[in-house]
Amino acid sequence: MHVIAGRMRLVRILAAARPLLLVSLAVALLIESVIPAATAAALAFLVGELDQASGVGTADLFAVALVPLGAFAGVLVLGHLAEAVVAPLEQLAAARIDGRHRTEVTRLAATSDTIAALEDPEVQVLVRQALADRSHGYDCTPSDGALGQLRWAAGLVGAVAACAVVASFSWWLVPLILLPAAANRVIRTRDNLRLVGFWREATAGELHADVWRQAAVSPAEGKDVRVFGFVGWMVDRMQEHVRAANGGLWRYIDRMLSMSWRQALFVAVGLVPAYVVVAMSAAEGRTTPAVATAVLTAGWSLFLVLGPSSDMYEIVSAVRVLEATDELRAALAAPPATPRGLRAPPESGPAPLVRFEQVGFGYPATGRAVLRGLDLDIRPGELLAIVGLNGAGKSTLIKLLAGLYRPVSGRITVDGVDLALVDPVLWRTKISIVFQDFVRYQLTARDNVALGQAGLPAEQSLIDEAATSAGLGEVLERLPDGWDTPLSRSRSGGVDLSGGQWQQVVLARALYAVRRGARLLVLDEPTAHLDVRTEFEVFDRLGANRGETSVVLISHRLSTVRQADRIVLLDGGRITESGTHDRLMALGGAYAEMFAIQAERFRRGYDDRMEEGTSQWDAI
Amino acid sequence: MGRYLKLWGEFFALSRRRRPLLTAATVAVIVCNVVLVAVSALALRAAVDAMVRGEVRGAVFASVAAGVAYAVNLVLQDVSGLLRNTTVDRIGRLELHPEVHRDIAGIEGIEHLERSDFLDRVTLVRASSGQLVQSMWNAITAVSNVAKLGVTMLLLGTVSPWLLLLLVFAVAPVWCDHRGQSVVRRVELETAEDVRLEQHLADLAVGAASGKEIRVAGAGPELVRRQAQAWERAMVPRVRARALAAAWKLAGWLVFVTGFIGGLALVAYRTAQGSGTVGDLVLAVTVAATLRQTVQNTVTSTTSTAGAGRLIEPFLWLRDYVAAQRARAEGATAPPRTLRTGIALESVSYSYPGTGRPALDDVSATLPAGAVVAIVGEYGSGKTTLVKLLAKLYRQDSGRILVDGLDLDAISTTGWRARISAAFQDFGRFHTTFARTVGLGDLAHLTDRGRIQRAVREADAQDIAAALPDGLDTQLGTELGGVELSEGQWQRTALARASMREDPLLFVLDEPTASLDAPSEQAIFERHMARARVLGRRTGAVTVIVSHRFSTVTGADLILVLHRGRLVESGTHAELMALDGRYADLYGIQATAYAEESAS
Repeated sequence: MHVIAGRMRLVRILAAARPLLLVSLAVALLIESVIPAATAAALAFLVGELDQASGVGTADLFAVALVPLGAFAGVLVLGHLAEAVVAPLEQLAAARIDGRHRTEVTRLAATSDTIAALEDPEVQVLVRQALADRSHGYDCTPSDGALGQLRWAAGLVGAVAACAVVASFSWWLVPLILLPAAANRVIRTRDNLRLVGFWREATAGELHADVWRQAAVSPAEGKDVRVFGFVGWMVDRMQEHVRAANGGLWRYIDRMLSMSWRQALFVAVGLVPAYVVVAMSAAEGRTTPAVATAVLTAGWSLFLVLGPSSDMYEIVSAVRVLEATDELRAALAAPPATPRGLRAPPESGPAPLVRFEQVGFGYPATGRAVLRGLDLDIRPGELLAIVGLNGAGKSTLIKLLAGLYRPVSGRITVDGVDLALVDPVLWRTKISIVFQDFVRYQLTARDNVALGQAGLPAEQSLIDEAATSAGLGEVLERLPDGWDTPLSRSRSGGVDLSGGQWQQVVLARALYAVRRGARLLVLDEPTAHLDVRTEFEVFDRLGANRGETSVVLISHRLSTVRQADRIVLLDGGRITESGTHDRLMALGGAYAEMFAIQAERFRRGYDDRMEEGTSQWDAI
Repeated sequence: MGRYLKLWGEFFALSRRRRPLLTAATVAVIVCNVVLVAVSALALRAAVDAMVRGEVRGAVFASVAAGVAYAVNLVLQDVSGLLRNTTVDRIGRLELHPEVHRDIAGIEGIEHLERSDFLDRVTLVRASSGQLVQSMWNAITAVSNVAKLGVTMLLLGTVSPWLLLLLVFAVAPVWCDHRGQSVVRRVELETAEDVRLEQHLADLAVGAASGKEIRVAGAGPELVRRQAQAWERAMVPRVRARALAAAWKLAGWLVFVTGFIGGLALVAYRTAQGSGTVGDLVLAVTVAATLRQTVQNTVTSTTSTAGAGRLIEPFLWLRDYVAAQRARAEGATAPPRTLRTGIALESVSYSYPGTGRPALDDVSATLPAGAVVAIVGEYGSGKTTLVKLLAKLYRQDSGRILVDGLDLDAISTTGWRARISAAFQDFGRFHTTFARTVGLGDLAHLTDRGRIQRAVREADAQDIAAALPDGLDTQLGTELGGVELSEGQWQRTALARASMREDPLLFVLDEPTASLDAPSEQAIFERHMARARVLGRRTGAVTVIVSHRFSTVTGADLILVLHRGRLVESGTHAELMALDGRYADLYGIQATAYAEESAS
């Protein structure tokens, strides 16, 4: 049943190719597959006519041959025509089927409410399978399977036609040739499927070798490789992984190759007796040479039709792709935590009041609690800084705020409404976030800014304003086509930007979203790649331009943080300190200590040098 | 062409030496494929002729031969692909692959990894060792296909010399098919950019990291729309090209079929006259049936052989490049055991190839033995370039670098590098075990747990190791079923790696704490300063700290201030503050932010 369901799915996705194309393709494939049988029949016709007419005079004889010759020419032309037509038709059908499939998968993955499933490594495996990425060792797309199945069905018709020609001599020759041919195909298919299994394993195993392969061509890893001098070691490791990964595959191929005589035997067992029987009966005059010729050519064509074929492999692989897509759909359609009325976020006020109430959260993969009973207000219009050690949960907090994850316990409210009840798409138009690992679109500079708020048509004047605020002007001036320059060298006319330049682009993207109606701007380490002067300018401008928008800033640079209206310290999964810089310094807690550490260096820098003599570092 | 032939000869020799059995089998299959075309056709003719003449023995003998020939032919067709691919795969992966990687990673400098035009070639060659070997077999196959075409024509010639004229007609499908296929190839190349864009957008749409921003910006539907557009843009011309190619192909075959039917009519006429046999007719038809495949294979294999330059040119370029790099005197002198005076830069200049502006312009300075030297400056001022010169990752265009008076160029690169250690700003992230990613900092002590644990402590990374599921033996990288580290954690692995060597002469910290929080930064910083002093006493080592965070460098013995590739100021912190120049200015910006009174 399972197998049939998979086959039916392949039939259903053919619909994407649209009826007219499908019918034309099916006809062309059918013609193509009966050509060998038709050739045999036409040849027999010709031989027969010549044989019968051998006593007649020369001129008549030639006239007799004209008709079968014409038939033969017709078959030949038809064959070429069908073969020529099939290629573009298949390409068009494949483009339609795969195009629809790919956008279906990406739409599924890009528009689910939360990010929880997508961050699950197992779901990522499903995504790769569903997209059938060749680079990840999957090589059959849904169209390969669907069209392969169509070809396979047409091939069966061709086989029946060939059998009919053979049966014109004797019915029992059909099973004599057909059974070994079918058995041969079954064995070959099984071998090939196993081969693919080994090949998949090899591809997975080579991921370990990829680490060192990448290291060889990466400038970052390349420096370490050279300074620490482990080229030789690295290549040896790589080859160890290559050997280990491919060992099984290669052993299996060796076995397949050494067993191929068995296959020859199979074919011979069917063909040779049949040929002998036909040849003898024709030589003894019991059969006409015409029939014998037909059987000889048709018997061979039966093997061609049923012979080695990648169809079955394509079918099985493509069914797996479709199954993975179903599993992906199920994984991404996680049931909403609470029944949702899907309300629009409240419009009141310049910026929302966001309140974390006793929020607890841990990632499903690790199970470790990241946030424990966290209470936090983000007040309208304030500049709130969140500080904490690496791994304190600052970025997690941001993901909860954006509704990318749902709290395990407690709740987040927006102007008093539970975030779980708010339509996430509408809520997200109210916020804008610069993530640490922001997206570098290989699109034009304009698109890279305008995609800060993709729900609304791009507005050039607002894009310009955002660019000015983010200090992007200098970068833009250097772009060959200004706003129309693609920000990737892989695009024609495109350029690569440095880390700092990208950060400015992304800042402009966020500020564009603010101009497009976002009322809460979140910046997660937004200046890590910027130098002192640029960072200083960026924050200066940000302070001047934010208007009534609330800003949440996450940063390790406490000199930047101190300008915030309020600073909160995240420690042990909850807020442990909150207040202005001066208050927190007066409090003398963990924040004051962190600030002191960074500030101290500046002061001590003076003091130690004033004293001359021993450096501070000798004292440690 | 001569260079290509030489390369293919080399690959063939390699293949024969390393995999004699597989290579011999592959060649045998190719030869058999040609021979069997003749054998099966001739056997079939003999069988038909014997049947017509009523010779039972002859008919049986010939039909057995035909059956066996067909059976073998079928298997060979089936096996040849597998056999050839696996031969290519093994030679590619086991022989060429390590050689290419050793070359790429073994070149002294890293210019070829940083210049985008070089990197394009390097990346292509790296990923295609199999295809390079394949190109050699493609060339052999092209020859064998032409031979097969020739044999087919000769067979027709045995029926009647007039049929040799079909060779002229056969030129039509070959020529037309070639035209068609080149259209397809051209369009595929033209639309490759849109295919890449489609893949890029799909990757973003399904990525976990990008998924966050895409959702917040509501960009999902827009990305999917653009993805569909890119697909459409790529596919429409491709389908059109295939249609055009199909038309070419059909036109070519119509010409051939016209000639072939004429030839067949001739054979039929001769048969009727009694000067030919029915077997001739059968032979002509069966041979013609295989002709289509043969022509197509010939065109495909010759086209791909002609296109092999796409891979071979970069490969030969890489070889020449490697040879040129190796030829440049590596230096044979051993580095000094300890530093007495220090490292001196004398009018050092360096420009990145292809850029007009010097990254370092006439820089002279002395880094005294045992000192902590800070290099500060804004982005693009040449800080990192300077430390790369010290690590011999680049060679200066002019000027000299002297290590205790010895020219660095004359010192063996391997020897020198064995005596330095570095944590670079864009450090390596090696997805292997945690212990190994650290231990690689000193290959001789790769498995020395005590040494690794010490290095981990130096980098304040003991808590990372403690939190990992398998401790030091934890595999890193989720794609390998391991753990993913955060930016700050990775940075600490790089610092730990740099702390493995215990007797370096030069220790480089390039922006060592950019991703770390204040307490970690402080802890690491203090440890490394202490370490610098210890190393300084032990070997006279120079510690170089590159930073744009000024708080980290005030304690240095010497501060070099770079601006646009020039050394504009140097001295101690106090001296530079007193100078009230560029350093004091930049320092002021940061110090104000930390001043006691609120800045705002």
